[in-house]
Amino acid sequence: MSHQAHTVAVRASGVDMFFGTPENQVVALKQADFEARRGELIMLVGPSGCGKTTLLSVIAGTLTPQAGTVEVFGQRLDGLGQEELTSFRRKNLGFVFQSFNLIPTLSVVENVMVPLLIQGRPYDEAQARALAIIEKVGLKGREEGRPNALSGGQQQRVAIARALVHEPPLLICDEPTSALDKDTGAHIMELVRDLSRSPERCVVVVTHDHRIFRFADRIAEMEDGRISRVVDDPKLLDTSHL
Amino acid sequence: MYRLALNMLFGDRAKLAMLLCGLAFSALLMAQQSSVFFGIMSWTYTPMVNIRAQVWVSDPMVEQVNDAKPLRDTDLGRVRSVDGVAWAAPLHTSFVQARMQDGNFKLITLVGIDADTFAGAPAVLTQGRIEDLRLPDTVIVDEWGASLMGRMGVGPDGKPRSTPLKVGDTFEINDIQARIVGICKVRRAFTGGPFVYTTYDRAKGYTLGARRTLSFMLVEPQKGVTPAELCGRIERDTGLKAWTSDTVIWSWGERSLARNTFWWFWTNTGIPFSFGTAVLLGLFVGIAISGQTFYSFVLENLKYFAAIKAMGAGMGVIARMLFVQAFTAGLIGFGLGAGMAQAIGRAMIEKGMPPFVMFPQILWATFALVLGISFVSAVIGIIKVSRVDAASVFRG
Repeated sequence: MSHQAHTVAVRASGVDMFFGTPENQVVALKQADFEARRGELIMLVGPSGCGKTTLLSVIAGTLTPQAGTVEVFGQRLDGLGQEELTSFRRKNLGFVFQSFNLIPTLSVVENVMVPLLIQGRPYDEAQARALAIIEKVGLKGREEGRPNALSGGQQQRVAIARALVHEPPLLICDEPTSALDKDTGAHIMELVRDLSRSPERCVVVVTHDHRIFRFADRIAEMEDGRISRVVDDPKLLDTSHL
Repeated sequence: MYRLALNMLFGDRAKLAMLLCGLAFSALLMAQQSSVFFGIMSWTYTPMVNIRAQVWVSDPMVEQVNDAKPLRDTDLGRVRSVDGVAWAAPLHTSFVQARMQDGNFKLITLVGIDADTFAGAPAVLTQGRIEDLRLPDTVIVDEWGASLMGRMGVGPDGKPRSTPLKVGDTFEINDIQARIVGICKVRRAFTGGPFVYTTYDRAKGYTLGARRTLSFMLVEPQKGVTPAELCGRIERDTGLKAWTSDTVIWSWGERSLARNTFWWFWTNTGIPFSFGTAVLLGLFVGIAISGQTFYSFVLENLKYFAAIKAMGAGMGVIARMLFVQAFTAGLIGFGLGAGMAQAIGRAMIEKGMPPFVMFPQILWATFALVLGISFVSAVIGIIKVSRVDAASVFRG
């Protein structure tokens, strides 16, 4: 096995994804290639409708592409059945959503426990681990409160805790700062970077928010359903159209 | 996940209250209407409960206890001669008009019992003595009847009275005086009239010497002979119809007069249809309210279920979560509804209102139907969640 194979966390090659009927087809991804490395935080950027979210869904295994291959931590996703994909997500993925998606009728700690309970972990163990990570994201004392009683930044911290509580190798963040102000967004990204920085983990962030580009190790720019270029320095990006 | 599923359910108190209201109302309607129905239906065989005897003998054409077809007095001797009969006593039942002191008439159920054995006499007397029925022109009236007829009487001051009839009061049956020597406690009947007990011979007089006055014969089997066995012998030897006094209407005993009476009313009246409609209404209202509320609960949580799906929960886990939520609501709703039905029933009985019989079977059936409603509600929710794409969580 080559050194490159060891370092690649996510690889998508020649991915096609279409929506709609053959007569009224919308091309979301066209021969898209993407690669993310272990230990890095990579951002997917581009104008609205360029296919960022679709590519993210393909990597997350919630969408199956019509063509191409997707490999996440050595596991080929194309060809897996729905049950195998579900099981793959359960073990390997953590999600941070744009609108947090915290269940309002559950307490903070219960929300964080969800991925562990989905894995079938005992309630007490899930609770203990959830409490530990809630402390790490700086919300000690708010465990029993409802998410609606928290600020946007605090809610996103809960979402990050939920995404990382089961220690997934791949963390997927969809517009994690779009609902937050500049300072809160920066704090959230610091948190994501600090908590997820590990040689065995990869973080893929889809964002429009150029204020957080500085947190990325690399930035992949998308255009018309494919990756147009990948840069190491955000200053090299033309952000006027983002 | 089930604990979280329950917390999700209990966390949304407004939705939960609505859901429980629907289920409880449905359970209440089904349990209460069924209990009133069976209560009223149990009144149809009231004579079997009030007049206790192990075997009843009737004309072969009799189908139910309220429709006696007179026998000849000589039939009594024929029955007494059947092998296995310990004793047989005559019984007269008929509906006659009683004339009250204020001139009003009231339809009563006249029961004539054997003056020697008092077979068929009421078991509980709240006033007077049964032996006093041997005195001339005497009757025993049931408590409810005494109250009903009392309101039609005239007091010593000549004004309408409001107190129940008591021992010593009089009224007339077919212009013959009836003097009350006892007040008894018996179950009310479907036919509505008060029970007036007298002796068999006096009943003949009250019915103006009708040619045949023997309605039924009450028979006791000898030791070692079962009622069913004796019924067979009586039918074989006399050609009359013999019935057991079993009042368990759920039994399949062909010889139970109570059961035959119950099913006669079931098939020949509109009562089951009327109450059945109310029970069905309860079921449909339950499905409509609970299904709709649970569906809206699922709709409100749809994006969270999508997120849970994206995080790796299979549809099996989510389906079980929804079943746990629906069945928990069903269980609580059933408890509330059945409890309210019981409370209403007790209040009705205390006020002497229409009957209320809540068989365990009614509770079980209501429980099953409420769980059925919960099942339908859960399935509607599961269908909705199964159609949600896990990828939708990335669409904002």
